[in-house]
Amino acid sequence: MNNHLKVLRAERDWSQAELAEQLGVSRQTVNALETGRYDPSLPLAFRIARVFDRPIEAIFTE
Amino acid sequence: MMSFKSRIFGRSMLAVIGLLALTFIGGGVIGSLEASGALVDAEAARFWLVFIFAGVVMVGAMAGGAVWMLSIDEAAQEAHKSAWYWGGSAGMAVGGVLMVIAMVEPVAATIDLPALMGRTDPVAYAAAGAFAMLTLMLIGYGVVWTWWWLSRSRG
Repeated sequence: MNNHLKVLRAERDWSQAELAEQLGVSRQTVNALETGRYDPSLPLAFRIARVFDRPIEAIFTE
Repeated sequence: MMSFKSRIFGRSMLAVIGLLALTFIGGGVIGSLEASGALVDAEAARFWLVFIFAGVVMVGAMAGGAVWMLSIDEAAQEAHKSAWYWGGSAGMAVGGVLMVIAMVEPVAATIDLPALMGRTDPVAYAAAGAFAMLTLMLIGYGVVWTWWWLSRSRG
């Protein structure tokens, strides 16, 4: 699964650590998400959508 | 305010120190009773002290592990689940080969095995086997856990 996390984060000028803090995960997890090598659980995907104020399907694509 | 992980670490350290103190005190009590001749069966007392100590340590490790597992995020949990299943299973598979060939007589009976702390009684060999299996599983666990994170950290 692909995602636009890195772009969305860059648009807000957030570091991985800052995004991680907002999501309640580690920086390593944010990195794994951004590389597309780890797919989040549904609860985490909803948290990501809330943080970026976007629908899930606008962040994650098949 | 202390973080959840700091509290867990602090309590775990306290528990370890407490257990060490209890074991030290228990050993001292058994030693002094033995020296005074009041203890009828010192070896049995030492055995039960170690048995209780091991039991408390393992229950504590399970409880601490459960709390710690719930404190880490979902990716970290996935890494450990993957490491436990794939790494632990692979280690067990290697140990399984050794276990099966150990049954092949008469050749297996002639293999010179390292003894546990110089002991060559059946219980020592059984314990050495358990340690060997555990070691192989932990090696597999470590390899898979490391691979899991490395493969997900490259951009």
